[in-house]
Amino acid sequence: MQRPSLNKTTEVVALRVTANRSGVLRFRLVLATIVSYLAMMAFLIHRARHATQTAVVAADFSPAMIALASCMAFSVVLTGLFVFVRHGD
Amino acid sequence: MRIPRNRMLLLLATASTFGVCGSAYSAQPDTQIRQAEFSTIVFFVVFAVLTLLFSFWAARRATSSSEYLTAGSSISSGQNGLAIAGDYMSAGAFLGLSGAIYASGLDGMFLAASYLASWPIVLFLVAEPLRRLGKYSFADVLTYRLKERPIRILAGVSTIVIVSFYLVAQMVGAGELISLLFGIGYGPAVIMVGLLMIVFSTLGGMRAATWVQIIKAILMIGGSAMIATLVLVRFGFNVSDLFKTAASNHPNGNKIMDIRGFAQDAVATLSLGFGVLFGTAGLPHILMRFFTVSDERAARVSVFYATCLIGLFFAMLFIIGYGSIALLRSDATYANASGALFGGNNLAPIHLARAVGGSILAGFISAVAFATILAVVSGLLIAGASSAANDLVVGLSGQQLDERMRLRISRVAAMALGVLGILLGLACEGQNVAYLLALATAIAASANFPLLLLAIYWDGLTTRGAVVGGTFGLISSVVLTAMGPTIWSKVLGLGPAIFPYDSPALFTVPLTLFVCWLVSIARAEPEEDWRLAQPAVAQYVESSNA
Repeated sequence: MQRPSLNKTTEVVALRVTANRSGVLRFRLVLATIVSYLAMMAFLIHRARHATQTAVVAADFSPAMIALASCMAFSVVLTGLFVFVRHGD
Repeated sequence: MRIPRNRMLLLLATASTFGVCGSAYSAQPDTQIRQAEFSTIVFFVVFAVLTLLFSFWAARRATSSSEYLTAGSSISSGQNGLAIAGDYMSAGAFLGLSGAIYASGLDGMFLAASYLASWPIVLFLVAEPLRRLGKYSFADVLTYRLKERPIRILAGVSTIVIVSFYLVAQMVGAGELISLLFGIGYGPAVIMVGLLMIVFSTLGGMRAATWVQIIKAILMIGGSAMIATLVLVRFGFNVSDLFKTAASNHPNGNKIMDIRGFAQDAVATLSLGFGVLFGTAGLPHILMRFFTVSDERAARVSVFYATCLIGLFFAMLFIIGYGSIALLRSDATYANASGALFGGNNLAPIHLARAVGGSILAGFISAVAFATILAVVSGLLIAGASSAANDLVVGLSGQQLDERMRLRISRVAAMALGVLGILLGLACEGQNVAYLLALATAIAASANFPLLLLAIYWDGLTTRGAVVGGTFGLISSVVLTAMGPTIWSKVLGLGPAIFPYDSPALFTVPLTLFVCWLVSIARAEPEEDWRLAQPAVAQYVESSNA
């Protein structure tokens, strides 16, 4: 029995997801995610290279820990923001 | 005919489980250890038998490829969110990140933050288009715009390569865990887990894997919360005391409060982070999760649930990691004089569970970790099997498969990938599993993510551009990863690494995007040869606009 063959080209359809409001929001949020992540990374690398050596044992959350936690919390907040925006579906 | 064969497989797997447990139990020389191991064995057997029963139950329903590969798209957003979280709370994350914190402090949490930051990328860019346009694999999305045959071959090959890398990390974690649990060698442990995962994934398919992920995710969060709480109880809920003790126990002292190892080389750190950030959006077993829900809204909401749960889990890993430094490093029961944990640093959470909660909690956590491994590797095998049946075979043969053939090829592919996973797991003994996961995501970021991104958001992508760019991304990322310090020097032992960075994503992702763009614009091709557009793409865009 003849099996169905693969699809053939029929037409080319333009695909511009960025042209609508939801698309613009998407790209802004993606940029916000990437910028916050890069900022966190830059801060951590800068801090690690310029940290002062001290004999006192650390006893609290370090700035690096706070930067990591902020980045993680920001990811969750951005995700929630996008999910709770009206999508019309 | 199928049911008796399934029963036989189930009996064989159960017998093998009991056989290994029995020999391990009788091999313990000391009475006290016997008692301690007994609770572990009981939990392990209960979990192993339960998961096998799940797979048996699901096997009776998995009579079509849609049911076997995507659970008939009938999973709710809450269930899918838990299952996605379960995929991320893998042995690699639980054992690997805790082990990384135990070894060098905050460095481990850097990877955790990178993994979490990758989820908004998945949600904003690929989750909804995948649900709308895909059925079995991400190649379904690509082939709405591009010619089907070459794209499916490329997608099939890249999926199998990524799944294989990801499998290695899980198998290494599994081997170390089972080896410690039962006092058997690493090799037999990997083989045993491999056989169980083959039976589980071949029989049960996506529905069984999803339900085991859901149950396991709940148990994993509960177990981690219990360990973290017991650690905090030890320090009177005073985090400062915990940090003080950890810093005074660790040879690096205060340095464990900052990123150190990763920060030594900014380019290497950026490349690793880049790979993780964009790699999740290219991981086949994660992308496949969006085919198990009914619509885009469910896909969106499930990502939100997953992100919240994963964030909570990583917060608990932070306490577990520093708790293990504070409580295990100076204890000769768990670590040698140099501070290395018995059984490997990846076992930090298991030892910590024993230290704060006794053998019962350790047994429970071990069994949950084992169920984690089983569920994650099963999801991986199913993703690989789906791609083999729907992409590779369809692409190579040029013919669509009927339901029966697709199901049969999927199951055979799951078995073949399981065997491959066992062999790779045996070759990579002793590697940090979190690091291996990061390498797998770097390949996913280089090979799959650029194609998905361009296919969804750029009109100008041609099939030629996608094939040339995707092939470049896959080969360059695999070759450079193999030439990096972890594979070239540590695994293969070939001397100094040729490529200085473990993760090549910082270079390969932009280059792949560039190659796709360049090839697409460089040569105008007859549309009927290189482009293939379906009305569904336009419908998707139109509904987005509306």
